[in-house]
Amino acid sequence: MTSTAHRTADRPTQGAARSATKPAEPPAEKTSAETAPAQAADTVGQIERLARRIRLRAVRMIAPHGFGYLGQALSAAETIATLHTGFFRPGTDRFVCSPGHYIITAYAAAAEAGVLADTELARYGQDGSEIEAIGTERSPGTDLTCGSLAQGLSGGAGFALADRLRGAEGTRRTFVLVSDGEVEEGQTWEAALYAAHHRLGDLVVLLDANDSQVDGPVSSLTTVEPLAEKWRSFGWYAEDVDGHDPVQLLHALEKAVADPRPGVVIARTSTTHGLSCLPPEADGHFIKMPAGLAELALGELADDHA
Amino acid sequence: MREAPYPTVLKPYGRALVELARNRPDVVCLSGDLTRQCEVDLFQEAFPDRFIHAGMAEANMMSMAGALAREGLIPFVHTFGVFATRRPYDQVVNAIAYPNLPVRIIGFMPGLSTPGGPSHQAIEDVAIMRALPHMTVVDVADAVEIAQVVPAIVDHPGPVYLRLKRGEIPVVFEEEHRFSLTAAQHLVPGGDVVLVTSGMMLPATLRAANVLAAAGVAAGVVNVPVIKPLDRAGILRSVGSARAVVTVENHTVIGGLGSAVAEALAESGAGVPLRRVGIQDTFAEGSKSGPYLFEKYGLSTQHIVDTAWSLLGRPPAAPRAPENRAEQGEYAPV
Repeated sequence: MTSTAHRTADRPTQGAARSATKPAEPPAEKTSAETAPAQAADTVGQIERLARRIRLRAVRMIAPHGFGYLGQALSAAETIATLHTGFFRPGTDRFVCSPGHYIITAYAAAAEAGVLADTELARYGQDGSEIEAIGTERSPGTDLTCGSLAQGLSGGAGFALADRLRGAEGTRRTFVLVSDGEVEEGQTWEAALYAAHHRLGDLVVLLDANDSQVDGPVSSLTTVEPLAEKWRSFGWYAEDVDGHDPVQLLHALEKAVADPRPGVVIARTSTTHGLSCLPPEADGHFIKMPAGLAELALGELADDHA
Repeated sequence: MREAPYPTVLKPYGRALVELARNRPDVVCLSGDLTRQCEVDLFQEAFPDRFIHAGMAEANMMSMAGALAREGLIPFVHTFGVFATRRPYDQVVNAIAYPNLPVRIIGFMPGLSTPGGPSHQAIEDVAIMRALPHMTVVDVADAVEIAQVVPAIVDHPGPVYLRLKRGEIPVVFEEEHRFSLTAAQHLVPGGDVVLVTSGMMLPATLRAANVLAAAGVAAGVVNVPVIKPLDRAGILRSVGSARAVVTVENHTVIGGLGSAVAEALAESGAGVPLRRVGIQDTFAEGSKSGPYLFEKYGLSTQHIVDTAWSLLGRPPAAPRAPENRAEQGEYAPV
């Protein structure tokens, strides 16, 4: 998180947040996936590995509790892994984790970048821990998060606006992770209108469309589709992709970043992806993980099984 | 202090903000589609590059203001009090108050100062903003205080909610008056009853004190522009050994100045009889004029006089407050 008046000096702050997202390698050339198959395959391999590690760390975090926000990490793993493989520039760009319960994904990514220790991650959601299950002002791994949903995009617009006011437009990007459930909140669209009207082109939304909210599938509760058409009609660059396919994510993010309009990549995902041991009836919003299942999950995601 | 009727001025807030911003490039101005109404057309004209039209989208405006503050800017956010507090309350909580960011939220048209009906009347804004940790709540009384409060809050370390009358602003204080962010001001001595007030109710309270004094009741007046954090010690000193205390606010009596003073008195063990003049747990209504509402909903000079009179146990037939005799361009309390 950025500096705030109540923040104390001894907690992991800006440095941790900014460096939490070190890329696994130097940014790939924009056309690498088309012109350099070997390099592209390498990038895809890195994304797949990082996504698996995010899932593994998320399982480790919730396992001691027997339940938790694992589905969010399972659905957003490739999206976050792609962001951290060549797009996000530590120390320059900002990362906003709009839905606070997705913070588990940011913690996992921060740990993979080596800025959050395993011992800290092990305190996830425990009494007295700053590694809280729903993101707060003291959460590492993000510049802004909020447990009250749909506020992150406005914050991201505020960051991009601050850059414009200071003449720094075009020098840094603000990436905002948003969930599909959040678009039910009107504030999402207030922010979308604002960002498009003012052409905040440094603003890029990663929309994790996992069709999951507390009471069931988003599609069964509120028709939010067609998402891409909605965002386009608001004046955004928008593209729908398979959110578990690194190649599609890479291409879409490249275009979203390059477009002069604010951009959104709608990643179609599943809250159980990448973990075949989960029962089919698993509640993606808040997955139950008794000890036996956790053992299976850890085995499935372990490095030597990759 | 001057005597009623008071001269009035236009846009003292708008001018004070422009003056401040001349030397403070970190000050940015947000408007929620009420630019002229909130006097910040002056800012827009003077500093167009630092003026942000947030449109009619208060939730987004508050969240953006929080992000701007995180980036080291000092956002002054402007709309009517109702749209600055009750509408985007969750955003004020999460984007501004909880992270303790230096956002200045300016809410115009307090209480029943507008005849625009319940949708436009901020009758509980002080209560809900006062309930937020980190939030400073200020309700200034006149143009002299307005000119001083703007530079006084710019470097305050946390968020501030400032409640401002719209339109013609009375000049109650002399130029020498000094606004304080920390001290309540004992303006009028008097030990029978102490009248504690803030904001738009100061003129009516001063007049009520005069009426009471003419009838042989020594009525003190304390001005409390900063409702949170409340200057408890100063108020207790001012109350001293008074036989009664009456609070006067252009706000519901639940949760505002009256409640804050009641808490201070009770927790100090003062045990002094207290009455709260204000809106009595009701929504008001639309009307042609604000003064009609002040009369109808118990915010007139006469209400203050009657309340103090009965609380002191005086015989019926309280003294009558004189008629309102403001000319065009002047301000006199109802």
